[in-house]
Amino acid sequence: MEADTRVESNRKVSVGLQFGPFLKKSLPKYLFIIPAFLFVVIFMLYPIFYNIFISFQDVTIMNLKGDKSFIGVENYRQIFQDERFLLSLKNTVIYTVSCIVFQLSIGFLLALFFNQQFPMRNFFRSILLLAWMTPLVITGTLFKWLYDVDYGVLNYLLIQIGLISEPINWLGQQSTALMAIIVTNIWIGIPFNMILLLSALQALPSDVYEAAKIDGASRIQSFFKITLPLMKPATLVVLVLGIIYTFKVFDIILIMTGGGPVNATQVLPFFGYELAFVNFKFSLSGAVATIILVILTVISLIYLYLIRKEESM
Amino acid sequence: MKYTIRQYGMFVIALLITAVFLFPIYWMITTSVKPIQDVFATPPMIFPETIQFKAYIKNIVEDQSILLYLKNSLIIAIGTSLLTLLLALPAAYAMARFRLKGSGIFLLILLVTQMVPGIMTAMPLFILFSHFNLLNSYVALIIGNTTLALPFAILIMRPFFLSIPRGLEDAAVIDGCNRFTAFVKVVLPLTKPTLLTVGTFSFLFAWGDLIFALTLATDEKIRPLTMGLTKFIGQYGTQWDGLMAVSTIAAAPIIIMFILLQKYIVSGITAGSEK
Repeated sequence: MEADTRVESNRKVSVGLQFGPFLKKSLPKYLFIIPAFLFVVIFMLYPIFYNIFISFQDVTIMNLKGDKSFIGVENYRQIFQDERFLLSLKNTVIYTVSCIVFQLSIGFLLALFFNQQFPMRNFFRSILLLAWMTPLVITGTLFKWLYDVDYGVLNYLLIQIGLISEPINWLGQQSTALMAIIVTNIWIGIPFNMILLLSALQALPSDVYEAAKIDGASRIQSFFKITLPLMKPATLVVLVLGIIYTFKVFDIILIMTGGGPVNATQVLPFFGYELAFVNFKFSLSGAVATIILVILTVISLIYLYLIRKEESM
Repeated sequence: MKYTIRQYGMFVIALLITAVFLFPIYWMITTSVKPIQDVFATPPMIFPETIQFKAYIKNIVEDQSILLYLKNSLIIAIGTSLLTLLLALPAAYAMARFRLKGSGIFLLILLVTQMVPGIMTAMPLFILFSHFNLLNSYVALIIGNTTLALPFAILIMRPFFLSIPRGLEDAAVIDGCNRFTAFVKVVLPLTKPTLLTVGTFSFLFAWGDLIFALTLATDEKIRPLTMGLTKFIGQYGTQWDGLMAVSTIAAAPIIIMFILLQKYIVSGITAGSEK
């Protein structure tokens, strides 16, 4: 009994001793990180969870400040039955896949080209990034002008080359609108892909190439046997980053077509936006946001798995 | 340095690639300085014959509404840069220097939130801000844009702090500084390139933002230039010279910053993808 109380009081003393130093030594360290942490929790994590939460409720502009009722998966049922949802999912997938395929392959070819030595190489390399840095609103406006049916440069050039015989209303008709937006985004994304792949190319060990040269390997052989395998991890990371960024498409849709004509360019983020800010059906928008979140989580997990795998190599 | 003929050949190819690639930007600028009849000429006038600035005078001097949009864009972009640096700098430093419980999880959260589309955060932020009467305020737009810039900022600043030798601050602490003054006096002066990279990127993110401008601000008085541009698209759908002039004005800060800070932008992009 006596021994117990002694242990107890000892513990109290030691807790007191530990807490004092904690305040003095550890707390200042946490003070550095607390503001950013709070910001992330309130303005970034809370919205994500709010989307999930609200997707099981019935919230519109009418009852935003009043009582809300839980309605389970009713919103999801409604979303899945909406033909615009399947259409926008389909368009998002078509858009993402075709953008990535072209951005990555053209970006890779350009990276190989700009990896060679020639005058003003560094200048060309970075000036191309201007295409990527330009705000999407401006890029969208610019391409709208290039695509213009009456005065657009694109139609003029295509007619001159003889590919088409009369001007095409690229953004104004269902059959070509999505493709026109895809081409725009490929243009935007190529420099980004190029610069990332280029920095990976420059990090490749040069002695491997020298050894291969001594062994009599041709340039083509060393490209397929050395460059491609060594570039695989970097390419995979660029691929996943590209998917995530492309999936977010919103600005250029809003500027160039507004989802039309007749939903031809409707994509998931734009569908979610319209539900919340045009129709004021917040819960339905939350459901779309949650579906996007699930898809992106899967992609993010692949990304994290890839960088972990790369780090362990 | 001497170059071979083959290398000059590659130079020419690079020039062609760049010309094709930057053509849309060239076309925007030249359209804005052409007389209206030349804008709609067939065949399109690749090289402008007459250069005039009517579209600019009309949209800056005669109609001054664009100046307000410009002011708003500047306030929002600078505010976003400052807030991002203020939050990211100490956090990235602490995560690189101290053993903090949960900092691994925090890093993971940052990676994942970076992937969430801005438009997904817009609706919850709209409801949150409407409860606090913050809609239609610069604060709302600055906070919205910071949600996009902050993860990027911390993710590229942390490795930078890891690369600064620890001994520097330890020496300062021995000389009588505490952790905080050591950070301010010894580490901060070394971070100039990173501050520039992160500052530039947050500025550019916010300058180009459309999502938060569209959803969190319905009042024309605080809307930025990106929204001003959409108004022009609706109003003067066919007045391409005016639209291109306003687009050029909106793109000008980007082009200028890009030319001045190329080095930092390229290093920022590559660093951002590695971590």
